[in-house]
Amino acid sequence: MVKKNFDVIIVGAGGVGLAAAMYSARLGLKTLVLGASHGSELPVGGVITTTTIVENYPGFIRLTGQEIAKKLEEHAKSYKLTTITEEKVSDIKREKNCFAVKTNKSEYKTLAIIFATGTKWKKLDVPGSKEFENKGVNYCALCDGPLFKNKIVSLVGGSDSAAKDALVLAESAKKVFIIYRGEQIHPEPVNMERIKKNKKIEIINNTNITEIKGNKFVQEIILDNSYKGNRKLKVDAVFVAIGHIALSDLAKKIGVKTDKKGEIILNHKTSETNVKGVFAAGDVTDKPFKQLITGVADGCTAAYSAYEYISKNKIIPC
Amino acid sequence: MVIKIYTTPTCPWCKKTKEFFKENKIKFKEINATSDKKAAKEMIEKSGQMGVPVIEIDKQLIVGFDEEKLKKALKLK
Repeated sequence: MVKKNFDVIIVGAGGVGLAAAMYSARLGLKTLVLGASHGSELPVGGVITTTTIVENYPGFIRLTGQEIAKKLEEHAKSYKLTTITEEKVSDIKREKNCFAVKTNKSEYKTLAIIFATGTKWKKLDVPGSKEFENKGVNYCALCDGPLFKNKIVSLVGGSDSAAKDALVLAESAKKVFIIYRGEQIHPEPVNMERIKKNKKIEIINNTNITEIKGNKFVQEIILDNSYKGNRKLKVDAVFVAIGHIALSDLAKKIGVKTDKKGEIILNHKTSETNVKGVFAAGDVTDKPFKQLITGVADGCTAAYSAYEYISKNKIIPC
Repeated sequence: MVIKIYTTPTCPWCKKTKEFFKENKIKFKEINATSDKKAAKEMIEKSGQMGVPVIEIDKQLIVGFDEEKLKKALKLK
C-alpha cells in the first residue's frame, strides 16, 4: 500500500467537497479529495448532478446541475495543491496529531479532515418497493424519467426536490401524480407556480402508497385514501423523493457527534465538529437549509478553520 | 469486442460511463433509449429493468456504472 501525506483530506467529492478543496488549496494546504464513484455512488459533483436546472446559485442565472458540478470540479482542479481521486474511504483512525485514512486503493495520512459526505436517498418502504426497484420504482427522475415517455407515473414526496422531479417527469410522461402524505406540498414558490401551471401534474395530498403491484414491472399502486372513489391507481412508475439519510458513519467512528437524524452536529460559525481537527460541511451536517450555496459556504469555512487549526496549533507534519 | 451503452441524455452515470470508456480508449456505441423507442424496449427486455445506463459487452450486461465490473469485463487492470 502506498502511503502519502496531505494537510487536508476531504471525504466526499460533491459540490461542497470541491468548493472546500478550492479554498483549502488557496490557503496553501496540500489537499486530497476522496470521492467514491462505484455502483450506486454518484460521480464527482455529487447529488447536484442529478438536478436538472439550478437557478439559485449566484452568478449563474440558469444552468444544469451537471454544468455547475463540472465548473466546481475544474475550479478545484485548477490549483496544483488539489488532488481529486475516485476512491472509497473504508476506515479513518486518529494517530497522534494525524489521521490515517484507508481507501479501497491506498492509505493516506492527514493533519485535518473535512467530511462532505452528503446523503443518500431514503428508500420507500412498502410492500413491492424493493421487488420493483428499477422495474418502475426509481429514485433518479433525471436519469430514468425519459424512459417513461407517454406513460402514467407517480412521484412520492412534497419537498422542492420532489416538485422539481415532478416537473422533469412531466417533460416525458403523459400524466404525473404527486402523492404526498401531508396537507400540501411545500416546494419553493417559483416551483409551486410551475407545478400549478403544468396540466400534466396532479397532486394527491394526505395520501400514502401502501403497496406497489405489478407483473414484471409496476402496474398499479394502492393508496390509503380513495382517489376518485378508488384506492387503486394505475401507474407505470413510482419515483421516490422522500428525503435523504446523512452519510455520517465514518465520522461517527472517530467520535464525531451526530443528532437523532444522524446529521453531524456542527459549529455553524466555524464548521468544526466536536473532534479536534475534524470539520464538516454540506448535506451531511445539521444545517437546516440544505442548498448547494449554503453547503459551499460551509465548505469554505471548514477549509479556513482547518488552515487555522493546522497553523495556530503548529501541528507537526505526520 | 462489441460494446453498447444504452443511455438517456440527462443521466449522470451514463456520462460517467462514457468518460470511463474514453479515458481507457475503448470504442463504444451509444444508444439513446429516449429517442429510440425500439432500443428502449430492447434494453428493458434484455436487462429486465428500467434504469440507465445499461452496458452490453459481448452479450454480458452491466446495469449502472460499476468501475470494477467494467474493468473485469473489459480485462483492464
